Amino acid sequence: MSAAAQAGLGAAQVAFVVLAAPLLQGFVRKLKARAQARSGPPLLQSYYDLFKLFARSEMRAETATAIQALAPWAVLGATLAAALFVPMFAAASPLGRDGDLLVVIGLFALGRAALTLGGIDSGSAFGQMGSSRELALGALVEPALLLSLASLALAAGTTRLDEIVAFGADRELGFIDLQWGLALVGLSIVTLAETGRIPVDNPDTHLELTMIHEAMLIEQSGRSLGVLHLSGMIKQLLLASLIANLFVPFGLHRDPELASYVGGGALLVVKVGVVGAALAAVESLFAKMRLYELPDLIGSASLVALVAMAITVWEL
Amino acid sequence: MEQLTVVALITLLAASAVELTALIPRVRAGYWLTAAAAVVALAVCAWLLADGGAVAFDLWSPAPSMRLEWRMDGLGALLGAVVALVALFASVFAVGYSHPRRVDDAVYPLFVLSMFGVAGAGNVFTFFTMWEAMALTSFLLVLGDGRSHTQQVASLLYLGMTHVATVLAVASLLLLADAAGSQEFQRMGLAQAGGSARTSLALSLALVGFGTKAGLVPLHIWLPRAHPVAPSHVSALMSAAMVATGIYGLVRVAFEFTGPGEEWWGIMLMAAGAVTAVLGVLYALMEKDMKRCLAYSTVENMGIVTIALGAALSFRAASLPGPAAAALLAAFVHLANHAVLKSLLFLGAGAVQHSAHSLDMDRLGGLLRALPLTGVAMLAGSLGLASVPPLNGFTGEWILARSLISLAGSGAGIATGLAAAGALALLALTAGLALACFVRLFGMTFLGLPRGGTADACHEPSRLMTVPVLGLAALAVAAGVGAAGLVRLLRGVPASLAGSPGADSGAAFHRVALSGGGSFSPVVVAIAVLALAAVPWLVLRALFGATRHSRGPVWATGGAFAPGMQYTATSLSKPVRLFFRRILLPEREIQVDYHGTSLLPRRVRYSGRVPATFEERVYAPLRSVAIFSARRIRALQNGSVEVYLLYIFVALLAMLVVAR
Repeated sequence: MSAAAQAGLGAAQVAFVVLAAPLLQGFVRKLKARAQARSGPPLLQSYYDLFKLFARSEMRAETATAIQALAPWAVLGATLAAALFVPMFAAASPLGRDGDLLVVIGLFALGRAALTLGGIDSGSAFGQMGSSRELALGALVEPALLLSLASLALAAGTTRLDEIVAFGADRELGFIDLQWGLALVGLSIVTLAETGRIPVDNPDTHLELTMIHEAMLIEQSGRSLGVLHLSGMIKQLLLASLIANLFVPFGLHRDPELASYVGGGALLVVKVGVVGAALAAVESLFAKMRLYELPDLIGSASLVALVAMAITVWEL
Repeated sequence: MEQLTVVALITLLAASAVELTALIPRVRAGYWLTAAAAVVALAVCAWLLADGGAVAFDLWSPAPSMRLEWRMDGLGALLGAVVALVALFASVFAVGYSHPRRVDDAVYPLFVLSMFGVAGAGNVFTFFTMWEAMALTSFLLVLGDGRSHTQQVASLLYLGMTHVATVLAVASLLLLADAAGSQEFQRMGLAQAGGSARTSLALSLALVGFGTKAGLVPLHIWLPRAHPVAPSHVSALMSAAMVATGIYGLVRVAFEFTGPGEEWWGIMLMAAGAVTAVLGVLYALMEKDMKRCLAYSTVENMGIVTIALGAALSFRAASLPGPAAAALLAAFVHLANHAVLKSLLFLGAGAVQHSAHSLDMDRLGGLLRALPLTGVAMLAGSLGLASVPPLNGFTGEWILARSLISLAGSGAGIATGLAAAGALALLALTAGLALACFVRLFGMTFLGLPRGGTADACHEPSRLMTVPVLGLAALAVAAGVGAAGLVRLLRGVPASLAGSPGADSGAAFHRVALSGGGSFSPVVVAIAVLALAAVPWLVLRALFGATRHSRGPVWATGGAFAPGMQYTATSLSKPVRLFFRRILLPEREIQVDYHGTSLLPRRVRYSGRVPATFEERVYAPLRSVAIFSARRIRALQNGSVEVYLLYIFVALLAMLVVAR
């Protein structure tokens, strides 16, 4: 890929995730409301919320240091940087040569570090409670995420996400086997945990006993809060895109023309929509689990992905 | 280079002599001289690493079989560079860390000298002379003035364990020297022993012997006791440099003195490393004493390095020299980066102790305002040890994870493949827990409000203490963003050990690449993160104007906020304690006193702890056995000279019969 194409694709992907992430959030919320026989907020409500927050002045805790003010931007920077390594419109990503799936996991970890430090900073017990839970869950999620992606990497013989997608696209339906299914289960559970959804966290509540992600943001307000909300939505879109393109890579091109980028983009919107619908279905069908039961759920994701790796090792 | 090496060694001896005789009172000349020697040693090692080759000369030969022979090759230079780097920063810090002059000050240069000597030993005799000197000098430094019970217990435990380990390590090297017909490292390297029962025994002995120095579980128990007791500059040397000597010994035995061998060697090392890494970081998360937490984190990181060594052994057994070199590179890169990060954090902990007079993370807090420079440096170090990109702790783990994935896919045998997949899972768990551990360490010390006492009286320590800490932080960032340069500097050593260049920097100078798919450019990652934080900031500022903010009290459900409402280090890690309760076996006790016979509680007392399971369940029974048998053996010592003469006579006879 030429440098100009790389820059263009990079700008397009960043613009896409920033602009589309609130829409996915609104879409899931709308579907969930419909499933509960409510009409729910408008599809574009997330945009309205963000605009409102971006324009507001902030209230910071007297006890907070610069960390609280810097953390939201660090989270956004790390999450958007991760978007540059994820193949979205084609079997290519803007910075595929400069980072692989391990770097994406590392950037998520960087975002988590900034988010939790921001939650601890003010001294608020709520923020620290959220950080405490997020750190413990993050430690469990990390192996599940890595193993799910690594089992695909093992089959494809590369850790580059764009090459894994290209490998799947070339193999067409031959790409689908038992390991594929197990890895999909693993990554799906990871997505539920990482996006703060039921059964792991409840995005709609501010009840202190149950919350994780919202608790960390409790001392944040105004633009900082908006940036953190946006980062969370972008991370959700990134994970949905990973599921969409890694597991259903069909029709994506390795070295595409402009037209096939557009086609790949249209495909992505459809696939991400399906993932979003699945998220809404899970949220509607299940209840939130107790915090101390979560290791069973996330641990089973790791185990399933480990079995996927073991089968691949066996077959080699 | 020989002259420079000798200059460094003599300067260290002089440093000791100056402190011992207190020739120059008032100025800490011994520490300044040690720092100077470290600069010279660093130059020699850097030259050796960049250029290849070796520095070799005879030090002293008191008897034909007892030659003190100096021979520093690439691998030795790697260890030497780690020792010199840590010694440089630690010595400058020690000058600022004002404390009354004691005999320790004269031991400190000798400790540095002996570690540098381990790196430069050219034969078995020299190696163990230096090794033993290192053990004894560090014992004296841990003992300190020996007044407190902690110092006595820690130093004696350390002395006992290190000597048992040394016996095994000596046995391992002598077995291999015997097979090679020479005690010289160079000849032993040429005569690489193959896979036989004897080599397997030597390797297993080395794993236990050198593994004790590196703190592998379950041989780690001395480490969280001994490392934190000493002053911070000594803790830094022990936890960042001395553990590396254990890894160094293991690498010499496993990769230089033995050739490709059995499949289970690599699996054994991967398993030992993975268990060590996970348990190390779990116990680190349970500690509330900052320096003990750091010592457990050293255990974790040596586990990670050992996984890399195991992966390299497996690749070599499967005749894949390229990937073997890459896995070895992961070990060395991580070892070097860990040395920078761990000395940074130990020196920073020293600065915290100096100004806040406490290391108890349950009581500290809010120090970022009082110690901004130390705080920022500690933040960089904490993120580094949490292994997030683009800081330097990530590089080694990236190469290692890549190596494990390719080992699983290499077709090197099902057992090896499954071991690699399992090690990968535990490596990821370790990384996640390490993030929790170091967010906790930094957050509970520097953020929030003090949880006990006050931070008002605290202030930044003297410049001689902040400059080394800031210097190490700068080095951590530079080694992270410039990982490709670090890889280029270090890759010669694994290449010569494995017989193949394992990693290159790709076409671009800033990229780290292993053979086959997937490369990583920390420069690009760093620029991407900074740019994608800055551009949205500017865009939102342009669209919505600059942010205004006001300050208000922390929200405390409507009541007044008090520092006691905050989480403590212990409560922050409670979810982890509960998630891993079957491994950590936490105990808690709630005691309720009632008003007379009524049901109204008068006082509720809560106490909880995480037991040191290995000490209580493994070492305590062993200790009872040892004491019991010592009592029985005492019957032999009845004080009669005739009986002792008889013993000597019998022993002599037995020796003659055996040796014939």
